[in-house]
Amino acid sequence: MTTLITKTVAKICLPLVILFSISLLLAGHNNPGGGFIGGVMFASVIALTYVAYGLDYIKSFFDPDWSNWFGFGLLLASVTGFAAIAFSHNFLRSAVEFVHLPFFGEVELVSAALFDIGVYFVVIGGLLSIFKNVGDDK
Amino acid sequence: MDSFTAITLAVFLPFILAGILPAIEKLLKDKIGWYASAIAFLSLLLIAQAAPEIIHGKTIQSSIEWLPSMGINLSFYADGLSVMFGFIVSGIGVIIMSYSNGYMSKKEDLPRYYQQLLFFMGSMLGMVFSANTIQLFIFWELTSITSFMLIGYWRNRPMSVYGATKSLLITAAGGLFMLAGFLVLHAITGTYDIPTILHSESMREMILGHELFIVALILILIGAASKSAQGPFYIWLPNAMEAPTPVSAFLHSATMVKAGIYLVARIHPIFSGTEAWFILVSGVGIFTMLLAGFLAFRQTDIKGILAYSTISQLAYLMTMYGYTTHHEPGIGVAAATFHLLNHATFKACLFLVAGIVAHEAATRDITKMGGLHKEMPITFIVASIGALSMAGIPPLNGFLSKEMFYESSVEMGALLGSPYNILIPALAVLGGVFTFAYSIKLIDGIFLGKRPSKGLPKHIHEPPIIMLAPAMFLAGLIILFGLVPSLPVHNFIDPAVSGILLEETHLHVKLWHGFTIPLIMTIITFALGILTYTQYTKIAEWQNRFNARYPWISVNYYYDAAVDNARNVTSKFSNRMQPGPLKTYVLALLLLTIAMFAIPAILLASSLIPGNLNFDIPPYESIIFLFMVVLALGAAFLPRYLPAIISLSGLGYLVALLFIYLQAPDLALTQILVETLSTIIFLLAIAKIPQKFKEHIPRKTLVRDLLISVTVASMIFIMLINATQGIVPPFESLSHYFIEKSLPLAGGHNIVNVIIVDFRGYDTLGEIAVLCLAAFGVYNLINSRGDDQ
Repeated sequence: MTTLITKTVAKICLPLVILFSISLLLAGHNNPGGGFIGGVMFASVIALTYVAYGLDYIKSFFDPDWSNWFGFGLLLASVTGFAAIAFSHNFLRSAVEFVHLPFFGEVELVSAALFDIGVYFVVIGGLLSIFKNVGDDK
Repeated sequence: MDSFTAITLAVFLPFILAGILPAIEKLLKDKIGWYASAIAFLSLLLIAQAAPEIIHGKTIQSSIEWLPSMGINLSFYADGLSVMFGFIVSGIGVIIMSYSNGYMSKKEDLPRYYQQLLFFMGSMLGMVFSANTIQLFIFWELTSITSFMLIGYWRNRPMSVYGATKSLLITAAGGLFMLAGFLVLHAITGTYDIPTILHSESMREMILGHELFIVALILILIGAASKSAQGPFYIWLPNAMEAPTPVSAFLHSATMVKAGIYLVARIHPIFSGTEAWFILVSGVGIFTMLLAGFLAFRQTDIKGILAYSTISQLAYLMTMYGYTTHHEPGIGVAAATFHLLNHATFKACLFLVAGIVAHEAATRDITKMGGLHKEMPITFIVASIGALSMAGIPPLNGFLSKEMFYESSVEMGALLGSPYNILIPALAVLGGVFTFAYSIKLIDGIFLGKRPSKGLPKHIHEPPIIMLAPAMFLAGLIILFGLVPSLPVHNFIDPAVSGILLEETHLHVKLWHGFTIPLIMTIITFALGILTYTQYTKIAEWQNRFNARYPWISVNYYYDAAVDNARNVTSKFSNRMQPGPLKTYVLALLLLTIAMFAIPAILLASSLIPGNLNFDIPPYESIIFLFMVVLALGAAFLPRYLPAIISLSGLGYLVALLFIYLQAPDLALTQILVETLSTIIFLLAIAKIPQKFKEHIPRKTLVRDLLISVTVASMIFIMLINATQGIVPPFESLSHYFIEKSLPLAGGHNIVNVIIVDFRGYDTLGEIAVLCLAAFGVYNLINSRGDDQ
């Protein structure tokens, strides 16, 4: 699969897609997007890079332990849930706050976004750790 | 701090602090055992903080709401009985974990060991302080699970695995019987709350008069007997000796096996005073006491002897708790409770000595030992104190409680009349004779006598002080309790007995109480015991011959046969159900779908296809559909993998296009991404397999598959028409609710996302947890397969 075409496409796609996936994640609450979609997008482009350049080559300089990612994501999502209990609400109850920031104008801060970031990390970590494990299998 | 908080912390702190133990281990390295003993000591202090109130006759009860709609709360109840158990569990816990610092080699996986010990301690404390039956059941099973893990601590020894599995199968299954018993109790009384039943006279009478009384009793007693290794369930305990010795001392002599006894004591006020109680509890107790005491003779492993002795001693307790008549429900309760405490001290002490001996002599085989008192004089004295207390020699604590055992046996026999007034005391003495004989064997076999010429290392010496001190401490308690019985009686036994009998009691235990019948019985016991000991080897040989000749007269024989059979049957079943090729599974799924659909389809045959269908499809959608059909056919019929995959992805992207037309951007986006990812995975996969379909499919299979596909497809077609054209009675759409509430309740305009992260956040949390588990699963699948090759 390591042809010039896929390599070039992957190289161009990688930064754009990652940025777009982050914007999808953050925009998710009010526009199309969200943690799941953003996560799958992130995972797809990394997977494409793995395929285009070969797993071993990529691993020689970029080899994160994806299982940490999904561990962190699940922890973050659960902590968001328990934080609601700490404020004596029900589990996973979300809070919304509007704040004014310079340059950005009115920004909506919502605790569900943290939960969504957790989902994002779980999806990335889960998919890529499966992908890498299967790909590594001789 | 109020007492309820103290009890709650005593239960949950071990869990929480054990959770961070691996992090602490990085700092303390191999000194981590002291951290664990500090936690146990903390629990001990917390219980001690709550204890004074209870010793003065109060009880503590309070709860935190958990499942209020089902009447199940997280609630704790502390009376004399549970506090005594709390002291035993946390106190022995401190001793065991300190001892483990010397016993466990530094190369072992120490964090896992101490973590599981602490989890066990927390579960056990939670169990004894539980105020409702469901909570009690949960903690009960947690002790079974932690015991399973600790018995199987040395994972690569087949006997450890065998022992661990056996204990889990028996004790956890027994726990399920107990749960069933609790549910029956709930059906009778309508409550899960134990103190409510205990303190309500009318409720207890209702249980006694109820037709399900005997059912509830038997079910709960099966749980108690399996946990405390009574009756036929005793077989797991000897195999549990594969655990590290401190674990055996802690779980399998002093605490966990007493959970069944605790349960019997706890339900004593509810069920005692009936014939059924006496026959079941005392009957099983006497039977087990004699059988296990007798079977101890043929054991050559020190821990084996101790295991059978534990079973027999627990049976003493059962027997005593079972002594009951209608007018005097608790004849043996005081004796049993006192013996329970004493047994915890002397048996834990003996196990610690067994650990020391095994550690220094590098074997646990008693036939290879002898004359060790020269090299290990202090260990010898400690062991003798423990063993003599077990044998019932004055002035040690075992003597006192055994006198009480004889006394209550005489009293029970007298109340039942002839022939029981002779029979029950005689059986009690026989039990005592066996105990005496194997206790003497322990001292004589290990420390006195002649040593065989080989089998032991040349240089044997006293163990390090870390290992000796806990055993010496317990030996000190044995003497102290023996000489000053009012100390334990006033602080532990009186409150505990009051908790069981539900009335204030004051015992008077003295070392010398005159020349009474129990004393005569003790003297007979010693005489017969010495006589039996002279025949010890002969009896053991006879048992071995008997066992070799009639292997089928043993519970183990049936246990092994049952487990082997179950293993064979299940492996045959799963080989048949899971032959490997994915195609088979898909086939089974589709056939099941057809069956599920066929029943309503036949019933509703007349109205299945509505007369006035609306086929008004916009032209651009028709074009998309046409392409989809072409691509689907391509995916099915193209002869090479690559074009087939491209067809399939094309189909997926067209579905996404359709979603866009139907104004579902989130769905479309997801569809595109998932399609992309799966295409990448497909491409990766085909790089590793041949490019052509080589498989030749017989015509028959082809026809069959075609038939199934067409059936399923037409089914889905009919179902969709029925669903979309309003033939199925319309349900109220949920979307209105979400459209209205999304912004005011969750502050989001994107309803799909708000549903995922907020309205149905719990589902999402479950889903991402599943994704994590799937990732772990794949990791394990691939790595474990690698080991085989």
